[in-house]
Amino acid sequence: MNPQLAEVVEAAPGKLAAVQSLEELDRVEAELLGRRSVLAQLQKAIGSLPPEERPALGRDLQQARATLVELVETRRRALEREIADRVATADRVDVTLDAFRLPLGSRHLIYQTIEEVCEIFVSLGYVVAEGPEAEIAWYNFDALNTPPTHPARAETDTLYIDFGDPATEPLLRTHTSPMQIRWMEAHRPPVAVVVPGKVYRADTIDASHLPVFHQVEGLMVGEDVRFSDLKGTLAHFARSFFGPQTQVRFRPSFFPFTEPSAELDVSCFACRGGEPGCRVCGGEGWLELLGCGMVDPNVFDAVGYDPKSVTGFAFGMGVERLAMVRHSIDDIRLFVDNDLRFLRQFP
Amino acid sequence: MRVSLRWLGDFLELPTTDPGEIARALTGLGLKVESIEHLEARWAAVVTAKVVSAEPHPHADRLRVCRVDMGSEVLEVVCGAWNFEAGATVAFAPPGARLADGTVLEVRRIRGVESNGMICSERELGLSDDHEGILVLPDEIVPGRPLEEVVELPDVVFELEVTANRPDAMSMIGVARELAAYYRIPYRWPEDDYPAIPGAPTTKVEIADPAGCYRFTLREIRNVRVGPSPLWMRRRLQAAGVRPINNVVDVTNYVMIELGHPLHAFDADRLEGDLLVVRRAEDGETLVTLDGVTRRLSAEDVVICDRTGPVSLAGTMGGESTEVGDQTTRVLLEAASWDPPSIMWMSRRHGLRSEASARFERGVDPNLPPRASARAALLIHRLAGGDVLEGLIDEVAVPFAPRRVDLPLSEVERLLGPGFDQGRVVEVLTSLDLEVEGSDPLTVVVPTFRPDLSRPVDLVEEVARLVGYDSFPETLPRGPGGGWNRRQKARRRLVETLAGLGLNQALPLPFVTPEDLQVFDHPADDVIRVTNPLREEESILRPSLLPGLLKSLRRNVARGVSPVGLFEVGRVFIRESSPDDPRIPNQPERLGWALVGSFGPADLAGRSREVDVYTSTGILRVVVHALGGRVALQPDHRPGFHPGRTARVTDPEGQVLGWVGELHPLLVDRYELDGRVAIAELDLDRLLDLPRATTAQPVSALPAGGVRPGFHRSRGAAGFPARRLSGRRRIRPGRGRLRLRRVPGPGHRHPQLGDPPHLEGSRPDPGR
Repeated sequence: MNPQLAEVVEAAPGKLAAVQSLEELDRVEAELLGRRSVLAQLQKAIGSLPPEERPALGRDLQQARATLVELVETRRRALEREIADRVATADRVDVTLDAFRLPLGSRHLIYQTIEEVCEIFVSLGYVVAEGPEAEIAWYNFDALNTPPTHPARAETDTLYIDFGDPATEPLLRTHTSPMQIRWMEAHRPPVAVVVPGKVYRADTIDASHLPVFHQVEGLMVGEDVRFSDLKGTLAHFARSFFGPQTQVRFRPSFFPFTEPSAELDVSCFACRGGEPGCRVCGGEGWLELLGCGMVDPNVFDAVGYDPKSVTGFAFGMGVERLAMVRHSIDDIRLFVDNDLRFLRQFP
Repeated sequence: MRVSLRWLGDFLELPTTDPGEIARALTGLGLKVESIEHLEARWAAVVTAKVVSAEPHPHADRLRVCRVDMGSEVLEVVCGAWNFEAGATVAFAPPGARLADGTVLEVRRIRGVESNGMICSERELGLSDDHEGILVLPDEIVPGRPLEEVVELPDVVFELEVTANRPDAMSMIGVARELAAYYRIPYRWPEDDYPAIPGAPTTKVEIADPAGCYRFTLREIRNVRVGPSPLWMRRRLQAAGVRPINNVVDVTNYVMIELGHPLHAFDADRLEGDLLVVRRAEDGETLVTLDGVTRRLSAEDVVICDRTGPVSLAGTMGGESTEVGDQTTRVLLEAASWDPPSIMWMSRRHGLRSEASARFERGVDPNLPPRASARAALLIHRLAGGDVLEGLIDEVAVPFAPRRVDLPLSEVERLLGPGFDQGRVVEVLTSLDLEVEGSDPLTVVVPTFRPDLSRPVDLVEEVARLVGYDSFPETLPRGPGGGWNRRQKARRRLVETLAGLGLNQALPLPFVTPEDLQVFDHPADDVIRVTNPLREEESILRPSLLPGLLKSLRRNVARGVSPVGLFEVGRVFIRESSPDDPRIPNQPERLGWALVGSFGPADLAGRSREVDVYTSTGILRVVVHALGGRVALQPDHRPGFHPGRTARVTDPEGQVLGWVGELHPLLVDRYELDGRVAIAELDLDRLLDLPRATTAQPVSALPAGGVRPGFHRSRGAAGFPARRLSGRRRIRPGRGRLRLRRVPGPGHRHPQLGDPPHLEGSRPDPGR
């Protein structure tokens, strides 16, 4: 390479490194590549060279120019970054400040629990139905094989209302089961339905009782629904809701509208079985979860299904209880108190 | 039902003594074990002993010096009790023994005489509170035995939850029968063969109310000596949760626990006349029951009467005037069978749930009275020395015979699945004392102690119960599908949108008070009332969501929690027939909200915008947008709402969805709130049914920011024009292109809280 050119190219990185501003860079660029630069002078001189030397110098010039342009641009990009960083750094703030508080509200824990429960059954092919809260005794009791002498019908248990024909015993439903009847009246088997909603009892308010709470009811009816289907379905539910390691226990019980009837207990998720004094299960190791059973033939008779050709199972669970057990809530009144400090814990 | 494991040993030999294993068996049978209580001796090294002699203390009038034979040796002890003489069998704590309170006995000198231990009272042993004298044990007990052996300790008590359909399981014999069936072992009835003397009760019985009383037996026992029951019986009653009274009453309770049949003992000499009549009470009659309470009777109560009137509340509680007491010598023992619903309603009416009524309301075996009476007679004879007359008065108004139920084997497999052949089914049913005849169908003879078994399906349950619910496989059937419907999904979107905006979903109780109705100008007769409310606060079903929300706001504010923004989705109750069922009220779902204080994004100081009517319209705008519909607003008046800051919300067809705005200042005051309160109440069905645009609109190729078709914002007329809140604003490309011009920034920025009201509603929408 032409020694003059080689000298310029060799000196360029050092010169550029010393440049600290874009203005200075412009000057250095002019010095290296401008009209008065060594490159420009050699370019002008090229015509005066003997023809055989011209191509070599031309190649050297081209190569040196490319190198210098790249060096200058590299330095320019670096300088621009440095300057922008300096400016931006001066713009810094305390990023930990809570200076723009976007609100987030909450969905009620009961509402969330109902959705979660229903969703488990929806994934098993159930339909979600809701029914009226003010009912008549036929749907709440008679059609559910609950005779007129049954204690649940007493005024000490059931809230009655002053609407319509008193002979129909208008009342506030004591469970979500009336919707079983309404659904079966309106649909032919096979049926798979879950019914969430409010239910009412003549209970005095205390830490474990409310006159109004929520249940989720379930019903499956078909030609070949058996006890094992009841067990499998509810065990699946328990494991979906409380976790796959949950143990289930079905034990015989009694409800007027199912036969055989069962209570489903689940292993305590807190102590995983019988730690003395466990705050969730009290050391018993089991938590009562829900009541269930095979639909009583009298219920099928009441809705016009033939009990000889269809069978089914039904279940009902208290939503408040599910939520209390899972979230260690020891006072049911928190659900109706609507204190923001409670509501906001479950967004 | 409290079941002592020691007592259970009277009836069968269980193959295990492990309480956990027995509890699992009981729970698996449907007799859920609520708790297991371990009863332990609270003493150590106390033994049985015979008092050899009891001499006066040489230096103290109130003390005696006794020589006590404790089997291994005879010791001298100073004793202050006088309820025994030489020859008595006692509980003796020698030096080194420990009492219930932890005292360890030493050799002491008492008034100059060396005392080697203590003769113990029941209180000192922790057996009861009795400290009147020392514990005197039956004479047949030999000295030198550890006291625990004599008083059945240690013991285990299972607390069982017995379902309403199982009267038979409210007894030791019933629990024994269940366990015998479970373990396939025999069980035995207790002795009831009493020695009788000739004669029959002179008192006759008349059942004037066969609907209330099925059967009434009466037995007479003479020359009874009333006194305390022996320790073993008192201990067993205590373990069962029954307070010991005296030997006669204790026997009736003991037999009730043992056989499940409540009995009642009258003092025969305190009854007037020689006829007992079972009848319904007359309105206004009174009876003082054993608990000392004067009961005002009604025509539905079933009572037992002597010549003077009611002397016992049937099957529930006896009367005070004919109670067996210390002076009683002649006892009339009643064992009767009552109509379960009559007893249930009676005990509820009088707030009197006794051990007896708990059994009768489930339905006690109507063929048990003679046997229960015989068992009680034997025990009274043994413990109170009575002479039992052999004649038993047995009036049967309604006879009961064992029921016969046909069970096709196919019915078992239809419900329970395969694997139930005849042999297995018969084995299970016979283990429960049911007789089985024939083959398919089986004819099952159900004894009268199982009133719950009347249909094939009831027998199927017995099979399932005895083979164990755990033994069935788990299968997971699928339903025909359906899931959430469109409306439910839209409601979920609504709830999530409101929560996303910063509101909190509330669930107040769905009742209002008369004051709520009054401040909202709601006619007091235009509501649905609870006819049997427990409190006035829960006596009126809400016709609106707003009172509940406002009271929830108030509670938060009163607790210093503010600002508050609450919403609710729930039913209200309208005094008109439901469109779906004329027999029940209309109970539409509504959406309501109420906010007080400030709302929205907050700055460093926590400041956000104070709520007002535009908070409500702003929330409505987002909600409607989220649901993809359109609504219009029109100024309106509405009870409870601010007269100048309220809008009626209508859908494109002009149907009213509800109202949004602010709470009337007067009500702000009434609900003890401050400042402006943003409220709304909307019909959920109409809101969720708003017509939606389902076809996508092309997106303009024109830059969106800063350029809009050239329509000026008009400021709107003074009379508050109808404002349209749009869910989807559309800009049609092409149209207006010739008239493009720049308009100032704020005119097309996204609507924000705090924007002036003319921003959207009054601008002609270029898209339509």
